[in-house]
Amino acid sequence: MPGVYVRGMGLSCALGNDVESSVAALSGSVAAPAEVRLEQGAERVCVPFYRMPDHAELTDPARFARILSQVVCAAVAQAGLTYVEVSRLPVFVGSSCFSIGLSELEFETELNYAPEQAIPMPMCGYQDIANMARHAVGCDGETFTYNTACTSSANALLGAARMLQLGWYRHALVIGAELFNRTTLCGFAGLQLVADKLRPFDAGRNGIVLGEGVGAILLSSQPDGAAGLRLVGGASNCDTSSVTTANPDGGTVAAVLHTALRNAGMEPAAIQGIKAHGTATPSGDTAEARGLQKVFPKLPPVTVLKPYLGHTLGACGVIELILFGSALRRRFLPATPGFEIVDPDLGVHPLTRPEPARAGTYLLNYFGFGGNNTVLVLEHGAS
Amino acid sequence: MIRITSAAHYFQPLADGDSLPSLDDELKPLCRENFRRIDRFIQLALLGSGRCVAGQTLQPDCAIYLGSGLGPIGNNITTQEQLIRDREIPKPFNFINTLGSSAGFYVARNLGLSGQNIFISRRGESTAAVLSAALADLAAGNAHQALVGVVEEATFPLAAHRLRQGLAADMPVAEGSHWLLLQAGGDIGGELQLLRFDEFAGLQDYLTPRWCREDILCCGAEVSAECADILYHSLPDCVLPDPQQAFHDSQAAAWITEFVTSSDGGGNLYLVTGNETRGWALFHCNA
Repeated sequence: MPGVYVRGMGLSCALGNDVESSVAALSGSVAAPAEVRLEQGAERVCVPFYRMPDHAELTDPARFARILSQVVCAAVAQAGLTYVEVSRLPVFVGSSCFSIGLSELEFETELNYAPEQAIPMPMCGYQDIANMARHAVGCDGETFTYNTACTSSANALLGAARMLQLGWYRHALVIGAELFNRTTLCGFAGLQLVADKLRPFDAGRNGIVLGEGVGAILLSSQPDGAAGLRLVGGASNCDTSSVTTANPDGGTVAAVLHTALRNAGMEPAAIQGIKAHGTATPSGDTAEARGLQKVFPKLPPVTVLKPYLGHTLGACGVIELILFGSALRRRFLPATPGFEIVDPDLGVHPLTRPEPARAGTYLLNYFGFGGNNTVLVLEHGAS
Repeated sequence: MIRITSAAHYFQPLADGDSLPSLDDELKPLCRENFRRIDRFIQLALLGSGRCVAGQTLQPDCAIYLGSGLGPIGNNITTQEQLIRDREIPKPFNFINTLGSSAGFYVARNLGLSGQNIFISRRGESTAAVLSAALADLAAGNAHQALVGVVEEATFPLAAHRLRQGLAADMPVAEGSHWLLLQAGGDIGGELQLLRFDEFAGLQDYLTPRWCREDILCCGAEVSAECADILYHSLPDCVLPDPQQAFHDSQAAAWITEFVTSSDGGGNLYLVTGNETRGWALFHCNA
C-alpha cells in the first residue's frame, strides 16, 4: 500500500476542544472522569465518564451538530482544498452510537407529552452524522457509514484509504463520532465492564471508562508537505471465538498484526512504537498482549491513550490516530497513566513516562465487539 | 475481473395485520450451531448468507460486507423500550446486538470465516456503498473472495415502521436478505464492474452503445427523477425493476440478486448512483 496522507485534522475530546490543546494535554496530568448518574427505575446507574469540555448539557439536542460542525470544518480548512474539491468530498463515518442519543430524547419527550404517538427509535440515524458533516462543510460526496463497534472509524479510515489509492477519489473526509447517550452507558453498565479508573495492562485492571469525542481527518492521495503523517497500510479480521472479546490466546490479534504489516510491506523490526487498544478489561488486554508477543520477539515502546480521554468506542480509530499522530509530530510518545503494577502474565509494560519519538513507522491497534480486529500502520516523517 | 459466483435472496412482503414469519425451520439446515440470543436481523443475515453459500466451502479469509439502511431495527426498538419506556438496564445481548457488525460475526462463525467483517450503511443506497467497499478490497488485493449481503428488517406495527422511514401510510413494505458471493479472477459466474464518471454525459456515452434490448436499468435512491427519466428514455426497450414490488430500504440489492438468480445466461443489469456534483457510479452486472 503506497499510502495516503493526513492533510487535515479536527478534534474535540475530553482533553480539549481542538487538536492543539488536546495533544498539549497529553503531556500533563490526567483529569478524573466526571460521574454521570442515570435513574433507571429502581436502579441508579453511576458511571464515570470523560465528557467533552464544551459546558453544554449532555442532553442538549443541538450539541451534536454544533461539535461535529466545528470539528469537520477545522479538518477541511487545514487541508486547503479548492471549492470544487470540497464540494465532491466523500464522507466516511465510524461510530457506535450515531444519533441514538437524539432518538432517545425524542422518544422520551413523546412518551411524556404525547404517549399515544410515541414510537421507539423515531430516528433511524445511520446517515445523520454524514448528512450533518456534509451540510457543515458544504460537500455532497458519497457517504460510507461504518458500524463495527470500537473499530468503526479505524475501518472507515482503512476503507477511505483503499478507495483513494484506487483513484476513486483524491480526498476523503473521515469522521469518528461518539457522544453521550443512555444506551451506551447503561449497556456497558449492564455488561459490568465499567471501572472507576482505566488501568491498561496493569495487574489490577478491571474495566473501561467511557468517553465521548468527535474527530475528523482529511485524507488525501496527494501530500501537502506539512502534516508528515501517512497511513501506509492496515488490516482487519474477524475473530469468531466470542462476540465480546478477541480470543485470549492472541491468535487472531497476531494474525491481523501480521496482515497489516504485510499490507504495508513492513517487518516487525521496523516498527518504532505501538499505540495499543488497551481497554483495561482483563480479557481484552490479555488477548492484545499475547498477540503482540507472538509477532514481536522484542516489543517496541507501547502506549495507551484511553486513560486520558476514556474509551471513545467507535470514534477511537480516528481520535486516537489524531492524538498519537500529533504527539509524533511533536516528537514524543505519550506515557500511559494508570499503568502501575506489572502483570507477569502479559509481558507488556506500557510507557510510564513520555519518550522521544523518532521518524518511522508505528502501529495503532483497535479491537471491538463482533470479533472485529483492526490494525493501522502510520508513518511519521513522510514528506 | 470480479465475478459473481453465487447469489441468493430472501424477500418477504408484509401486510398490516400479519406477523413476521418464523425463520427457524429454514435456518436449521443452514446453521452449524443452534445460535441463541440472536435477533431477527441476525436470523435474516444467516438465512441469506447460508442460501448463497449453499454448501460451498469458502476461503477462510473470505471477507464479509454487510449493508443495511436501517440495521437491526427490531432489536434497537426493544433496547430503547427497555431503556426509556421501562426504565430498565438493557439486556446484555440486546445491547450487543444493537451493533450492525454483530450479524456479520454470526455469519462468519457459521461459515468458518476469519476475514474482515464490515458493516456499512448509506440509507437507501446501502447496496452501492457495500458493493463499493467490497469491490475496492477485491481490486486492491486486500480480499480475494467476498460475501456481500444487504439485510433489511421490518417491524410490526407496520404503521410505525413506515412512519420511521417517512413512507406513505399505504406503502407496501417487505423485509429482505440479499447476498452475492464475489471472487477476484476465475472464469465462473457473471462479471461485476464498478465504473465512475465525472459527468452525466460520460455515463450516457458508456451506456448507449452497450445497451441491449431488455437489459435492466436500476437507479439508486439518490438519483434524481429527471436524470432517471433521461436515461430511461434514451435506452431502447429499457426494462425497469417491478415498481409494484414491496419496499424496503435496499431495493437495489433485491434487483441485483433477483437478476443474477433468475438469469438464463444473458443480459445486463446496470445500477446507477450519484448526482451532478459528486459524479456517477455505475455497477454493471452481466449474467
